[in-house]
Amino acid sequence: MIGISLQIILDVSVLALRALLPIYALVIVYQCFASARRHRRPEKPLVTLEIKETGQKIPVLFWENSIGRSKGSDIRVSDISVSRDHCVLLRRKEGWFVSDIGSKFGTFVNGEETEGRTKVVIDDEITVGHTTLVLKRGEEFQEKLRPSWFFSKASDKGSLKPYKLMILITFFHFFMAVEACFSNEIKDYTPLLIFGAMELVMWLFFCISSYALNRVNFELEALACFLSGMGVMLLVRQELRSAIVQLIAMALGMIVFAIIVKFIENPDRVDSWRLWIMIAAVGLLAVNIIFGRVQNGAANWINIGGISVQPSEFVKIAFIFVGAAALDKLQTKRNFIEFIIFSAVCVGALALMGDFGTALIFFATFLLIALMRSGDFKTIILALVAAAFAVFIVLSIKPYVADRFSAWGHVWQHTQDSGGYQQVRVMTYMASGGLIGVGVGNGFLKYVFASESDLVFGLVSEEMGVIVAFAIAAAIVALAFYARAITTRSRSTFYAISACCAAGLMVIQSALNIFGITDILPLTGVTLPFLSAGGSSMISCWGLLAFIKAADERTYAAKRRAPANALRRRGAVE
Amino acid sequence: MKRIMTRSLIVWFVSLAFLAGIIFLGVRLVVHNAEWVQQPYNGHIASSGGLAKAGKIYDRNQVTLAYNENDKRLYHPDQSTRESLLHVVGDNTLNISTAIQSMYRTNLTGYSFILGLGLPESLRGNSDVTLTLDSDACRAAYNALGGRKGACVVYNYKTGEVLCDTSTPSYDPSNPPEITEGNEKDYDGVYLDNVVSSTFTPGSVFKIITSAAAVESIPDIYSQTFTCNGSLDVEGNAITCEYAHGTQTFSEAFANSCNCAFGEIAMQVGSEKMKATAEKLGFNNNSLKMSGIPIAESHYDATGVGENYLAWSGIGQHEDLANPMLMAMICSAVANGGTASSPYIVEDDGKLLDKLGIAINKANNVDMVSADTAARLHELMRGSANSYANRGVSLAGLNFCAKTGTAEVGEGKEPTAWFVGFIEDEAHPYAFAATVVEGGYGIEAATPVVSAAISELVN
Repeated sequence: MIGISLQIILDVSVLALRALLPIYALVIVYQCFASARRHRRPEKPLVTLEIKETGQKIPVLFWENSIGRSKGSDIRVSDISVSRDHCVLLRRKEGWFVSDIGSKFGTFVNGEETEGRTKVVIDDEITVGHTTLVLKRGEEFQEKLRPSWFFSKASDKGSLKPYKLMILITFFHFFMAVEACFSNEIKDYTPLLIFGAMELVMWLFFCISSYALNRVNFELEALACFLSGMGVMLLVRQELRSAIVQLIAMALGMIVFAIIVKFIENPDRVDSWRLWIMIAAVGLLAVNIIFGRVQNGAANWINIGGISVQPSEFVKIAFIFVGAAALDKLQTKRNFIEFIIFSAVCVGALALMGDFGTALIFFATFLLIALMRSGDFKTIILALVAAAFAVFIVLSIKPYVADRFSAWGHVWQHTQDSGGYQQVRVMTYMASGGLIGVGVGNGFLKYVFASESDLVFGLVSEEMGVIVAFAIAAAIVALAFYARAITTRSRSTFYAISACCAAGLMVIQSALNIFGITDILPLTGVTLPFLSAGGSSMISCWGLLAFIKAADERTYAAKRRAPANALRRRGAVE
Repeated sequence: MKRIMTRSLIVWFVSLAFLAGIIFLGVRLVVHNAEWVQQPYNGHIASSGGLAKAGKIYDRNQVTLAYNENDKRLYHPDQSTRESLLHVVGDNTLNISTAIQSMYRTNLTGYSFILGLGLPESLRGNSDVTLTLDSDACRAAYNALGGRKGACVVYNYKTGEVLCDTSTPSYDPSNPPEITEGNEKDYDGVYLDNVVSSTFTPGSVFKIITSAAAVESIPDIYSQTFTCNGSLDVEGNAITCEYAHGTQTFSEAFANSCNCAFGEIAMQVGSEKMKATAEKLGFNNNSLKMSGIPIAESHYDATGVGENYLAWSGIGQHEDLANPMLMAMICSAVANGGTASSPYIVEDDGKLLDKLGIAINKANNVDMVSADTAARLHELMRGSANSYANRGVSLAGLNFCAKTGTAEVGEGKEPTAWFVGFIEDEAHPYAFAATVVEGGYGIEAATPVVSAAISELVN
């Protein structure tokens, strides 16, 4: 009798934990999002341009500003002798520069015609056409600026401190580990061991980020830690070895993240590396095509010393690098054409490998980048037509390719063959999990092939419940909204484009993944960012996250130190 | 920069499209979750066709009809009881889609959308299902059917509880046959519960519906007389009776089950009014249910096919098709003063409801005819029952009102035998319907089936 009641107490506590986690997950995602909305530099002009002839003052709001006659220019000059896109006024660490972008009559600084980027200082005169603009300090312009819906007002209550956010996330992973310890089949304490190692990595990352690299905020990294950690904990009861690999990949991902953030601190550095990045990426794909081994119909793996690597994952990062550029480089035709050719090579190579899912991700991301760069729907339509044509050719040469997607829409008639085997199991086990899940390690989807990678959304739904699964989807959307919101303050179009497109890529990939395995879209076998098992995928996701991080102007801002605080306090007394 | 910012809104659209997809997935999940869970490969409920951890099924006297032992699904120890309840209880497969083990599988397995299937065993509540059936009555009716294809239903017309629901052909759920090309004839329609899922040519039992139409639309029906000389010629085609009934009143014609008289009555009523009355009585209606189990649509329509067919349709021939459960419901309406009580087979003990938040479909009662018409039909059926009683039909010695039917189904085939009606007894308010395919005369083939069931229920 005592034994039975003890069992019931244990069961009730485990059940309570399970019911708690979905709410907890929602709180964490909300808190990460809320923290992202915090801190915002008061929006005042950086400098002012004064039109010498009329004395009119124009505020310069951005780090990169286009000057020209066209409507969309940041600084619009109504002068027929000024080209539609005349020149770019941009700010770098070293100061302000003017760069002519192929104007008809040239750009002059203090009467001398410019060539390439030319430094300008306060009171310098920039002449475009018949108009002369004088660079003045920002304070000389007073105007109220429009508020943003995304960023909270300064008066709003502050959100959680980064370390508190990390504590929240640590407890979430801890509860997952506890659940895994009491799983139906195996009962031991290895989940706690993995949990310990993982938290060590995460807190180390946190400390290095805040104290060694002096990064002010941490909410993006926190969100990524939350998702990656969840993936690791889900793997513990599935295959311990994969969990360890995943953990190592997470640590590597964090390093890659830090390196990329540092590397693109200067957006112009990327430009000089651009060619090499392209060559490296194409080389990687070429190696993949030659040495790749076929796995599940796609030859997108290569084996290096016993470790399987998926090169296409790393090419994603290169793709964003090549696609984005600073405003004055963006305007040159050469830059754009290079990007189009590079995209065509990437998509073509992936299709050749049979990895249609990744090819589709690249193509969709290409459309995003092309649209952001040119704003030209003609280019998009042209690209779509070309793609449709390519699909038509592939299908007429290799008609069996279509068979892989033939079960789409009626998977319930294919419960026992490869057409629908995975999808129907995802749906069945999603429903079996209910809202709160059956508990970490208690699922049955884990016995289905690729459950830890492609089907991980189903695994989360089954073991942790639909609410947690949907919270993950919400987190990815939050990431995209955040990326878009920070572009308004980012220091270069390079950051704006790379952040938006990196986030867009993750959303597109998540859509292909989640809707593919639930038969809303054809199953293409792509991973879910951060959660799916797979080292390459994990590292690449952290790499993509770096672009979003870099776009936030707070990232490279010096951390306010004690003296600054002291100063402020003194100011208050006075 | 401004331009890039405007264009970056595309990221919002992509995200919103993604969110819309997630919401769509959520809706799909809410709508289909029970279906998705009930798959034979589902590891949470696998083995014994997903019933390894399912609850027990009881009849109204707490007799266990299905239970588990060592993860195996077992059924009632007596073979004829098992076979008589096959279509209600179901077997380990989902072949009999109207069976409780199919319809209520999610309830039996303790599944709920909120908790999923992950509830620890110690916390699993009672996921047993209690039926309103009396297993002895079902077995008696099954034995009385004696291997012929047919169905028998008895239900309480005051409360709606279904007491007997048996369908043949059947098989033993503990030892399901392998149906091959060689033996599929023996198992024709074996997965259908003929009580709810099948329709048959009604023959003379349809005269109840024709009478209802006559009472409501022919004001002088009781002052008319009908002369039967054994045959009625309509547009060159003869409707016949077994012998000439002579001159009869309306009530006498009903008691005699005179085809000639009822053919003429149907023509007097007219095809539109016949159809309207039949539809009020539940024909051409596919929304009737018994505890959420759909009742097959009965068919009546003689509009636009000429007088001859109209006359035939009035005596339950032509293209008329009636479902046994509906016929019992019509009898229930007659007994209840015009309102048929809605039948249900799952005991609504409230536990199931609270625990799973799923309302058991206990549909509203169905108003079929006016109280006045019901009283007239009651009288007519009492009259015909008296003649059956005189010919030796006894339903546990209780007073009853009824109508037999002998429906011709074509050359070379024995007619379908019917017996429908209700008991006039406060303690035993039962409405019943029995059908025996190729049974011959209703009074000979179908009455013993009902009699066997009622005797078990009364004793």
